[in-house]
Amino acid sequence: MTDPGFLLTITFVLYFLGIAAVLWLPEKMTAPALAGFGGLGSLLLLVTGGDALFSSSTFHSTLWAIPGIGDLTISIDYLSAFFLVVTALVALPAVIFAAARIADEQWCHPGYRAALYLGLLIAIPLVVISADVFLFLVAWEVMSILIYLLVNSGHSERPGYLMLAIGEAGTLAVLLAFLLLAGTSGTLSFAELKVSGLSLGPGLRWVIFILSFAGFGVKGGLIPMNFWIPRAYTAAPNAFIPLIAGATLNMGLYGIIRVNTDLLPITQAGPGITMLIIGSVTALIGILYATIEDDFKTLLAHSSIENAGIITAALGAGVLFLATGHRVAAAMALLAALYHLLNHSIFKTLLFMGAGVVEEAAGTRSLDRMGGLLKRMPWTGFFMLVGVLSIAAMPPFNGFVSEWLTLESLLRSTELTSLGIKIAFVVAGVALALTAGLAVTCFVRAFAMGFLGMPRSEAARSTHETRSSALRPMALLALACLAFGVLPTYVIPAVDRVVAPLTGASATRALVPPFFEDSAPVSELPQKFASEFHDLGAQLGHSTMPGRGLAVIHRGGEKNPVVFAMSTSYMFVTLILLLGVCAGVVWLVVVRRRKTVRRPRWDGGVRHLMPEMTYTATGFAQPVRVVFEAILRPQIVDRRETIAKYFRVAIQQERKEIHLVDRLVLHPLAVTAQWIASSLARMHHGQINAYAGYALLVLVLFLVIASTT
Amino acid sequence: MSRWVLKGLQTGIVTTRYPGGEEGAPGISPGIPQDMVCSGSHAEALALRCPTAALQREKDQISVLRERCVHCYRCARGITKPIQWERGFEWARIRSDAVVFPKAFQQSLHIRVIDAGDCGACLHEVKLMNNPFYNMHRLGFFITPTPRKADILLVVGPVTDHMKRAMLKAYEAMPEPRRVMAVGACALSGGVFGPGFVTGSGVGDVLSVDLVIPGCPPPPLAILHGLLTITGRKMALQDDKPAVPGGGT
Repeated sequence: MTDPGFLLTITFVLYFLGIAAVLWLPEKMTAPALAGFGGLGSLLLLVTGGDALFSSSTFHSTLWAIPGIGDLTISIDYLSAFFLVVTALVALPAVIFAAARIADEQWCHPGYRAALYLGLLIAIPLVVISADVFLFLVAWEVMSILIYLLVNSGHSERPGYLMLAIGEAGTLAVLLAFLLLAGTSGTLSFAELKVSGLSLGPGLRWVIFILSFAGFGVKGGLIPMNFWIPRAYTAAPNAFIPLIAGATLNMGLYGIIRVNTDLLPITQAGPGITMLIIGSVTALIGILYATIEDDFKTLLAHSSIENAGIITAALGAGVLFLATGHRVAAAMALLAALYHLLNHSIFKTLLFMGAGVVEEAAGTRSLDRMGGLLKRMPWTGFFMLVGVLSIAAMPPFNGFVSEWLTLESLLRSTELTSLGIKIAFVVAGVALALTAGLAVTCFVRAFAMGFLGMPRSEAARSTHETRSSALRPMALLALACLAFGVLPTYVIPAVDRVVAPLTGASATRALVPPFFEDSAPVSELPQKFASEFHDLGAQLGHSTMPGRGLAVIHRGGEKNPVVFAMSTSYMFVTLILLLGVCAGVVWLVVVRRRKTVRRPRWDGGVRHLMPEMTYTATGFAQPVRVVFEAILRPQIVDRRETIAKYFRVAIQQERKEIHLVDRLVLHPLAVTAQWIASSLARMHHGQINAYAGYALLVLVLFLVIASTT
Repeated sequence: MSRWVLKGLQTGIVTTRYPGGEEGAPGISPGIPQDMVCSGSHAEALALRCPTAALQREKDQISVLRERCVHCYRCARGITKPIQWERGFEWARIRSDAVVFPKAFQQSLHIRVIDAGDCGACLHEVKLMNNPFYNMHRLGFFITPTPRKADILLVVGPVTDHMKRAMLKAYEAMPEPRRVMAVGACALSGGVFGPGFVTGSGVGDVLSVDLVIPGCPPPPLAILHGLLTITGRKMALQDDKPAVPGGGT
């Protein structure tokens, strides 16, 4: 094993070399330099993270001792290693994609943008590995500002400002939380905070939880602080958005996990319930707005919010299980959360790449104006299909596995005793089930309206396939989607290494029974249960396959001895076999022996089937819009009637859905701020006499105070 | 609570016994006039009374062109020697060159209905075949919205110019073996509408028709009889009369 410190140094040196290269080399060298240095650095980062994840010791190092503040330390524990792996998995394809696209953005010298991008690649790992409050906050701020600069390098400025403003408010809350945490011990190092966290009172812990949850929730896209996400993701340049969406959203969730499960011991149920409910509500609201959204990138942004909600709900379940002493269930829930976080990063990066490519090719982000892209962009369409199936939680892709694990760990709540917690679990379960259903609708719509059917605009008709340099990273991510989907039994033990220290229990033992092992496969399982699955063939391939098995099989606790079982690996193999057999039979019996007659497509008997006659994205989402009208509250903003002679020949109506969070949070916030400002402005009326009066008043006030004390 | 289960049990089975048994309920069919022999002057008077020229006189012989009859009863009421009316409904005829479906279609036949400009009456009767009394599903007949799965094209209406293309497209989209079924006086001869400036004189102008069902509208049992005939479950009655000469009234 190589020294992680050495690997990290090389990684950061590569990134910094990349920055130097893109800034000083000629413009045409920008893209190769970015792809080369960034790609190599990310690859090394992946090795570092993987190495740390599977090593038995925690890397710890002091960078620099600053007098008066303390030591700047970095450390790679299993949690950090996991997030390093996720970041690197996303960054490797994203940086290649960005290099392919960087010349397309017309803002300033591409070198500056490439430098900012590489800076972000440095800042994200730094957030993850920093082991004291000072370094963490510095890295966090650098990351936030770099994201702001990258988002604002697009055409629109307002979303960037909004993001920066709400982000800084979040950072302030995080800072307060850390100050409260560090206030009692007087140290800034995470290792010592962990010790001092044990002695904090329940009230203070609540305050720290609320502050950190709200502060990190801004970056993590949790309700009600997520209104910047759809705006900023839509405005961000297509070259950068895959990394921003895939890697930086995770940082908010990383913060929540780090503070609330690692630094603070889990003893209360309250934070767990809060996370569970907020998470599931976020997921539901997110997917609801994604389903009715017309803009492809905004749709994906809303879906990011949904996935952040699912992850947070699973985290909350884990925290709740830990607080009530169910360690195995807690390990499963946390594992589901981290697994889903990993999966979401992969497929969201893929989808944002596809959305960028599609926007460039079709000249629009509006799903209503797309259609029929699959014929013209077959590879982009295929990779998007993989991404869409993954995010809609369709087996055998990765989204299915983690959503299955999430819902399954929620089902363990039947073993709990407290009625209130049970009700919270039921509410969350219902919301998440509805979310899963809506997600399928949403992404069937996104793919079908974008890629199938007839082109609904001139631009969509004249698209063509994109460059292979942009397709290769998408292929890589699509492959990852499949790999993390069909091999969950190999991913679960890896993620379990992160979860086990946090919960004190192993989820691997509960989820992946050792069926492959010949000797005593039943030691960890009830005899009858194991033998039944043995008869079913769960041990199939134990002599050829490494690892513990290919099926995720879990047995509920004492109160609900239900067996949950799932194997995407077998499903995948069976699916391919069945499809092959069917295709073979059809070919042998039908195609080969009979004559094929081709007739024109049935179009309902119309003269010409025109794109105007086909379903649009807006029409497809209309049932959802009607069902959830109470939440969406559509407003008619414009209504025009065309009257020819005496008859009304056309009615044009424009309806607008203002986002729930905008309506309930952002708008009142803005109104209050304006009210305060206008109240203060009344004092500034420009009369010099009054200003002199203010000065006199203050003087008198001070004199009074001085005389009384 | 709805009491539909109890009500259903009380009502019992109302479905017609046809084709297993006889169906003689009053009003099940409007009837159709039969050929008659009478004096020449009376035949002349009768033929003149017919608004759709369904009664063709040849000396003292009156022959009925069923394709044209609209059941107006002018030859049965308000005249001294009325024409005899047949009360049945088994009017469906197969054209001489048509072939019934192979045996495999006897238990399941999918129908694509095309409204080629009818007044709504024929369509209504076709719709009635779906109700509990006629219940065509018990006989294995199903309406399908897509011609891709249809075996038989059921056309009602005189085929207006606007529907001609749609009908041909639907026929094109159907897989072999396929049959065309013309239902009602309009689809057979143009009926009271055509041929006119926007309609032809029935389906026969455009497609070769295999099965004809006269009536205006034909009662549902007549259509059922036609479907049973084309699948070979009822003895096929060949249409031996010559094709209708063009020109309506």
